[in-house]
Amino acid sequence: MIDLIQMIVNGVAVGSSYALMGLAMVIIYKTSEVPNFAQGEMALISSFFAMMLLTSFNMSLYLAFFLTFVFAVLLGFFLEFAILRRAKEPNILGMIVITIGIEMIILGFVSWKFGADQKTMPFPIGPYDSFIIGDIFVSKLEVLTLVAALLLMTTLYLFFRYSKLGLAMKATQQNSVAAQIVGVRTNRIMMMTWGISSLVGAVAGLLISPTIMQPFMMWDPMLKGFAAAVMGGMTSLPGVIVAAYMLGIIENLFGGYISIEFKTVVAFVIIVLVLCVKPSGLFARHYIKKV
Amino acid sequence: MKKRLGLVLLISLAFLLSFAPNLCAEVGVTDTEIHLGQWGPQTGPAAAWGNVARGTRDYFKWINDNGGIHGRKIVYHMFDDGYNPAKTKAGVKELQEGTGMFAWACGVGTSPGLAVRDYLAKKNIPWVGPAAGSMHWVDPPQNNLFAVYPLYYGEAKALIKYAIETMGKKRIAIAYLNDEYGKNGLRGALEELKAHGMKAVAQVSMENKDTDLKPHVMKLRQSKADLVLMWTGVGHSARIVGISKAMKFEPQFMSTSTTSDFPFMMHITKGLWEGVITGTLGELPDSGYPLLDKYKEEVFDKYAAKEERWGVFYYAGILFTEPMIEGLKKTGRDLTRENFINAMEQIKGFKGIGPEVNYKPFNKNDMYSRQGASQTFLVQCLAGGKAKKLTDWMSIK
Amino acid sequence: MDMKRDYYEDVQLLTSPVVLFWFAVLIGSLYCLPFFVDNYYIYVANYIAINIIVAAGLNLLVGYTGQISLGHAGFFAIGAYGTIILMTKAGFPFLLALPCAAFVSGCFGFLLGLPALRLDGPYLAIATLGFGLTITQIIGRIELFGGREGIHAPDITIGSWVLDTDKEFYFLLITLTIFLLLFMRNLIKTRVGRAFIAIRDADIAAQTMGVNILYYKTLAFAVSAFYAGIAGGLYAFVLKFIEPEIFTLMMSIMFLAMVVVGGLGSMMGAIAGATLLCWMDLKLRNILDIPYVGDWLEHLSNNWFSITGVSNIQYIVFGSILVGIMLFEPLGLYGIWIRTKKYWRTWPF
Repeated sequence: MIDLIQMIVNGVAVGSSYALMGLAMVIIYKTSEVPNFAQGEMALISSFFAMMLLTSFNMSLYLAFFLTFVFAVLLGFFLEFAILRRAKEPNILGMIVITIGIEMIILGFVSWKFGADQKTMPFPIGPYDSFIIGDIFVSKLEVLTLVAALLLMTTLYLFFRYSKLGLAMKATQQNSVAAQIVGVRTNRIMMMTWGISSLVGAVAGLLISPTIMQPFMMWDPMLKGFAAAVMGGMTSLPGVIVAAYMLGIIENLFGGYISIEFKTVVAFVIIVLVLCVKPSGLFARHYIKKV
Repeated sequence: MKKRLGLVLLISLAFLLSFAPNLCAEVGVTDTEIHLGQWGPQTGPAAAWGNVARGTRDYFKWINDNGGIHGRKIVYHMFDDGYNPAKTKAGVKELQEGTGMFAWACGVGTSPGLAVRDYLAKKNIPWVGPAAGSMHWVDPPQNNLFAVYPLYYGEAKALIKYAIETMGKKRIAIAYLNDEYGKNGLRGALEELKAHGMKAVAQVSMENKDTDLKPHVMKLRQSKADLVLMWTGVGHSARIVGISKAMKFEPQFMSTSTTSDFPFMMHITKGLWEGVITGTLGELPDSGYPLLDKYKEEVFDKYAAKEERWGVFYYAGILFTEPMIEGLKKTGRDLTRENFINAMEQIKGFKGIGPEVNYKPFNKNDMYSRQGASQTFLVQCLAGGKAKKLTDWMSIK
Repeated sequence: MDMKRDYYEDVQLLTSPVVLFWFAVLIGSLYCLPFFVDNYYIYVANYIAINIIVAAGLNLLVGYTGQISLGHAGFFAIGAYGTIILMTKAGFPFLLALPCAAFVSGCFGFLLGLPALRLDGPYLAIATLGFGLTITQIIGRIELFGGREGIHAPDITIGSWVLDTDKEFYFLLITLTIFLLLFMRNLIKTRVGRAFIAIRDADIAAQTMGVNILYYKTLAFAVSAFYAGIAGGLYAFVLKFIEPEIFTLMMSIMFLAMVVVGGLGSMMGAIAGATLLCWMDLKLRNILDIPYVGDWLEHLSNNWFSITGVSNIQYIVFGSILVGIMLFEPLGLYGIWIRTKKYWRTWPF
């Protein structure tokens, strides 16, 4: 029993980082229908930027994190403005290829600048600090990740629901021509979306980096976050959160009770099964395609 | 232009060679130069091992600046294969058939090495010190291949033996990476346990890609082990120790020589590595071993890039190629592959910064005719990344 | 461009005697190549030919049928393992083992095609990506396949002919490649190919016109996987040693990149894309040896970046090519070719 609860707690903990990455992807997909494969690397470069500020420039933590967030937003703006907006005849495959290209560029850039050695980021909460409730242990860093994921999800949900900008984003997604006609600057909206998404990704990156930093560290969270986003329906914010925690918990229970060998890939098998039953994910409304 | 000229020269050289095979002494050797090649991942997921190749490069520079070998300078060709065997094979063929290498040094990784092993063997091109302790190099032994890296298999045996006989541990669990490296360690550990009439209380395997290791640690904790042997990558080992600490599961940890870089391990675990026992590849950086200090001053400080780290991987690049340089020196001025292999076979009790290296004349039933080093010693990590020597150099045959 | 006067002209493989002549010259020179160049270039040619087969198969799926696959490394792995296992464990001769393994790979393609019937866009991307990752993981855990320790390929013998050099293997490989490419071109030119294109352009409309979507979509997956399987089986013998970790996600991405860089929906494009990217992948190894640029990069690395990570510039180059192609020439190399041809045809106007 203790083990079961512990596994669920672990699943929730690991689900939080998937949730953050998934959120970041959903935000972009919601407005521009781009499955952003560069999301992980955008978070990666932000995390390494923070580490550089902390270790090479000896900045205080708050200032460094603040600058990192500014950097992340600007990076999102830049990528949308300089690359995505320039794409001719964008179809979904083209977008996937462009974002994979961006991903490779950033990955190469980070590895060139910082080398391949493992590093850790100085952070007030150590990666292995924990507290114990009863016999269940909970890692402090993961509690922080959980709080960050839920907080960001709620904020974004409210933001999309009630704020003027959020509504404009929704309008852009549903019909960008109509949105333009009623006076929404869709270009600017897209840029904002990328900025916000990059910021969410950076939060995820910063919360992963205290453990071990190396250029490939974001691949796994990105792919799992993507999987969660797809399972949640790609457009639903609460959906991605629920799916991410489900994946985390299933992974841990599967690892604990069935087979630890196939733990890493069970998420993808589940995705395929879910998609067979519900082709647009668990929580998305299924749009009927018109000819 | 330079390349074009080189190509023309090469083609004419090949032309010459095909007509007059007796004119030239040996591929890759001239009156003033010896061409040696090496691959090492500088990109991709295994790039953290790239230091090995860079260590070798700087070591060869140092040799050249100290007069070279019998009047010849080493021309060193390193290429990046990104740990992709197809690229390794392409690069080896390009250098071997284009420029012409006399021999190959080091070379990181089991699968890149396996992709070219048979190619080099068929042409009988010497290859010294592959940077992986795999059984594939010496089982069966090959005439051209001189392994230096002590076998993981033997190292695991030594660690388990110490755990049982000296520390009196009763419940031993093993965590291993599901690949060649991890499986070799596991095999050695299980055999040694069996020899003592014991069984592993848990065997937990993990994949390279795994980053969430909590389920694995929980498995280890459920087994109530009092000692955990980790045959995993650097990052994995750090996480296992950290998560175990967080879960209040505190057995004695043992790990492989790849994690014997204690200052670095202390850094990435934020001090939790203290108390871990590992095997070693060579002398320790802070042991005051004179030759190692000399390398640090004369090789590392002088040639290494400013962001290079003086750690185990870097000087492993020196360690694996020391026997090769020794062999080249022994061969003398008349450098052919046959002479070189003969000279390598005569290396007895050679001691550089690593374990003692011995080779024997080729015998296809004796893997120690080609497995040079078979010694290790155990160390324990102390506060501040210092190391305590637990044993002396001991044989792990 | 050229006017077609009747149906048979449209389905013809070779449109004119001139084309036939140049085609014969090309094939002749390909067969003569080993007598003129170094062994290393033969190895590279083998490597490229294998990638061309995968790219041609993937192009059928991505370029002609409009599906997405980020899991072709999985099919590639099935082909490679299947061939070796059938040869070593079941004693099949090579020429039988290769198509059998590729057929197994094609069956997996068919299975993956079933969920793909209802999926598109990111959903299909993640499903195929998951397939690629899962397959290698499963292979790595099965002892029969040598697990993660990998297995060695035996020598190929056809009758009494033992192919143990790159040159001998080249003749086999080039024959297979030409055969497979011709078959592919044939397939595209016929009813089946037109059905694929109809599905790409408007699947519901195609269905209304009587194209059996279930059949043709799964067929596209199966044929594409079959090609990847054949290529995988051959790849095992180029390397002589395989292990699951070779067949990474990065490999799948490179396959997709070849098709996209070459030009979607064009055979010539797939061939050009595979050749260019493979060549670059091998050549960018030693980035500091490139004349002029190398020195500058070294200087830059020493002052601003790290010299230890300088090789990673190849990722930047590849990424830039992908982004650049999509931004400036979505039709890829094939588009560039068409444009140059047009320009010269109308020159100087």
